[in-house]
Amino acid sequence: MPSMKNKRFNLLLIAVVTFVAVWSLWPTWRDYSLSKQLSSFGSAQDSLKYAMNYREDIEDARKKSLKLGLDLKGGMHLVMEVDQVDLFEQKAWNKDAKFSAIMQAVRAKASQSDARVIDLLVAEFKNNNIRLSRYFYDIRNSDQEIVGKLEKESDEALSRAKEIIRNRIDQYGVAEPVITTQGSRKIIIELPGVSDENRVRNLLKGTAKLEFRLLREPEVMIRTLDRINSYLVDNSVAPQAVPVADSSAVAQSPLPPSVSTPPAPANKPASAKPLYDVIGVFQNGTAYTSEHTKEFASSLLHRSDIQALLPPDTELLLAAKPDVGKNGEKLYSIYLVKKAPELTGGVITEAKATFGSQGVQPEVLMSMNSEGTSKWARITGANIGKRLAIVLDGAVYSAPVVQSKIPNGNSVINGIESLEEAKDLEIVLKAGALPAPVRITEERSVGPSLGADYIRAGMQSLAWAFCAVSIFMLVYYKKAGIAADIALVLNILIVLSVLAGFNASLSLPGIAGIVLTIGMAVDANVLIYERIREELAEGKSVVSAVTQGYDRAFSSILDSHVTTLSAAFLLYTYGIGPIQGFAVTLMIGTSASLFTAIVVTREIFNLLLAKNLMSDKSFG
Amino acid sequence: MRIFQKTNFNFIRYRKIAYGFSLVLLLAGMASLAVKGLNYGIDFRGGSEVVIRFDKDVDVGQIRSVLDAAGVSGTLKQYGMDRSFLFSTVFQGDSGQLKSLVSNALNDRIKGNHHEIVRIDAVGPSIASDLKWSAVKALLASLLAILLYVGFRFEIKFATAGVVAIFHDILTVLGLFSILGGIFTFMPLEMDQSIIAAFLTIAGYSITDTVVVYDRIRERIRGQKPSEYERIFNESMNQTLSRTIITSGTVLLSVFVLFIFAGPAIRGFAFAVFTGIMIGTYSSIFVAAPLVYDWLRLTKSAVHLRGSKVS
Repeated sequence: MPSMKNKRFNLLLIAVVTFVAVWSLWPTWRDYSLSKQLSSFGSAQDSLKYAMNYREDIEDARKKSLKLGLDLKGGMHLVMEVDQVDLFEQKAWNKDAKFSAIMQAVRAKASQSDARVIDLLVAEFKNNNIRLSRYFYDIRNSDQEIVGKLEKESDEALSRAKEIIRNRIDQYGVAEPVITTQGSRKIIIELPGVSDENRVRNLLKGTAKLEFRLLREPEVMIRTLDRINSYLVDNSVAPQAVPVADSSAVAQSPLPPSVSTPPAPANKPASAKPLYDVIGVFQNGTAYTSEHTKEFASSLLHRSDIQALLPPDTELLLAAKPDVGKNGEKLYSIYLVKKAPELTGGVITEAKATFGSQGVQPEVLMSMNSEGTSKWARITGANIGKRLAIVLDGAVYSAPVVQSKIPNGNSVINGIESLEEAKDLEIVLKAGALPAPVRITEERSVGPSLGADYIRAGMQSLAWAFCAVSIFMLVYYKKAGIAADIALVLNILIVLSVLAGFNASLSLPGIAGIVLTIGMAVDANVLIYERIREELAEGKSVVSAVTQGYDRAFSSILDSHVTTLSAAFLLYTYGIGPIQGFAVTLMIGTSASLFTAIVVTREIFNLLLAKNLMSDKSFG
Repeated sequence: MRIFQKTNFNFIRYRKIAYGFSLVLLLAGMASLAVKGLNYGIDFRGGSEVVIRFDKDVDVGQIRSVLDAAGVSGTLKQYGMDRSFLFSTVFQGDSGQLKSLVSNALNDRIKGNHHEIVRIDAVGPSIASDLKWSAVKALLASLLAILLYVGFRFEIKFATAGVVAIFHDILTVLGLFSILGGIFTFMPLEMDQSIIAAFLTIAGYSITDTVVVYDRIRERIRGQKPSEYERIFNESMNQTLSRTIITSGTVLLSVFVLFIFAGPAIRGFAFAVFTGIMIGTYSSIFVAAPLVYDWLRLTKSAVHLRGSKVS
């Protein structure tokens, strides 16, 4: 028998654990009853009045209550990947064809694996027997130093991207977003209760790289398009014969057409004006493509053999938004702009979405810092009469003619469809540009109605599992079953309170973990009770049978708990999101059952034995 | 109440039959894995899925033809719940576009029956390969951890046989997934992350059952002659039979509840854990302990067990 002191310590421990569990779940109960109260009012005014009166209570309870996971509450889980290949490309200088080929290979490998991009890059350079210093930083740097610098760059880019994304989300307004980074290039974003997923997605995925770029003269534009057209004719590649061009497929042939090997004889009808089939040109030198040819035209213009035909240091860009043509067709303008921007978005200090002078067109007003202001004044002053394109993430929003020198650092983006979009632009411009493009690589969103279904299903499973298991224990073990059931209740309370206390959230897999815990937690009791039955069958007294039962069952209980715990721990370590929720509740539940199923039931028996309420019939 | 009064089965004598049964189960599973393969969910193959729920009953064929006509290619299946369908297609980075495409097509062509897209899942190819690797790593690591722990607590023969039993259980369930995959509309039995969670749960639980049997053998085998081993193994297994069955029974009970009530998202998981625990219970009696017995018999060695308690 345990000493008196030990016994008292155990009782105290049970009392403390129970108290802490109830205390940490109290706000959850409060939150539940308050919101029930709120929704019970007949009129909106009554509930508003109630909410005003009890505002502090309600907010406090909500803050401390058990959080529901995205799947139960509805919301979005996004994994975004920072394009490190692009980042490294930005850092390189004197890039040539060899370099693009290497980066192309790195990109292909990076999209298929989780390896660090920097390692892939180094491996690819090694394969080609090229030192990194040929393209990166200083020629005197060793590969080691360059790798170190690039690593630092990519770490910084990831944390900067995370901050910028956090800024965007904060300004958009989502309650309790969770934004974390994983590995070297992933950002995990959890947005509970988001209703307009599409808008959020658009808000997050843009790089928000703003550039002011000069347009080339209309004559140059027309000459260039003619040249591309005749090149396409020479190569007799009719637009419809070209598969939607994958830039990697043609990256190896940046040679001028005269040098390249003659193309295979066309077995598909060739057009005399392949480019002008998809692009229209006005007399004044503006070109456009219609909505249904846009994709094709854009991929055509991105081909590196076509790009080789452009005047040096220029680029063809499409408009962000279509103009509506005469017969209602949507036409996207095409612009020939200088590659080097005159000014970039880094100088923007303030952005504001408003309506333009006529009061119908939404636009975004921007102001610049002092450095930007003086540059902007110089640029506009030097280019009066020329067109200056405002480019955001590679798409031209507008290309107004510079009327006069702008001394105050103001500029404006127009050509925006809705005020909502203008607001989103304001957000991304204020938050700043991402260091490199980001991509959504994983998305899981659950609508609130399905979440409600999940909650109902989860609660039903919990209730039924508890009933089934506790009734079984009562029937099979009689009085001892009561002790096991009390322990089971405490076990569930502990799991929930640990989740609430550590601000972890409860998800559907988490509920599944609790349900499984219900079944597994009584295992320890079964092991003990069966052992006690054996001891009783050998003719021992109840007191010594209980003692022996607990002592002898302990080693198998410990072994089984350790194995379950280690499996759950590994699941937590290697799993992601939803599965981690399952692993966490299973871990808490299994550990807690070591306490509840052994210490708690033991104390109950001790109390009952002391009062002579146990007999050899008490174990069924 | 007692389900098992004093039992006296001769488990060891009939172990060869059990070996045969297990072998057949495993071979059938392996054959199906080789021929039919597994039904991978988007977690492991990458792709996009949307769950569409309608207000009123609607025919799968009708939705399928509407989506076909709209040029959205993919597969459409009945989803576990009422009037819900799962549409899966290749990975779309911009699932907003997919959503509006599906939504517009259904709004235009199926009038008077409101629908809602209640869930979107999109997993890119790089994530899918990560997840696959993590799953393999987690499984291998847990098997190694169990091998080490049981090896430390008992001895290496016991530990190895226990891990063989876990392999047996997981491979059997994997085989069942391959054989039954895609047959039932209410549970497609796709391999996804939750099934990996199920496998790890099975691994943890299978060894739990095995350890209960081992523990009793350890308690009784100390100082006995090898000629007594058969009797001791049999008696130990009979003595623990009730515990083994009851402990599994309570877990099976709660997993069964999950299977019935927790909805389609959990159903595959519940099925895997349910069958896994049944097979794990069987294997702890008919595979793990008999293997240790055979091993001891063939090597003619006496056991040197750690941790046995003298009382």
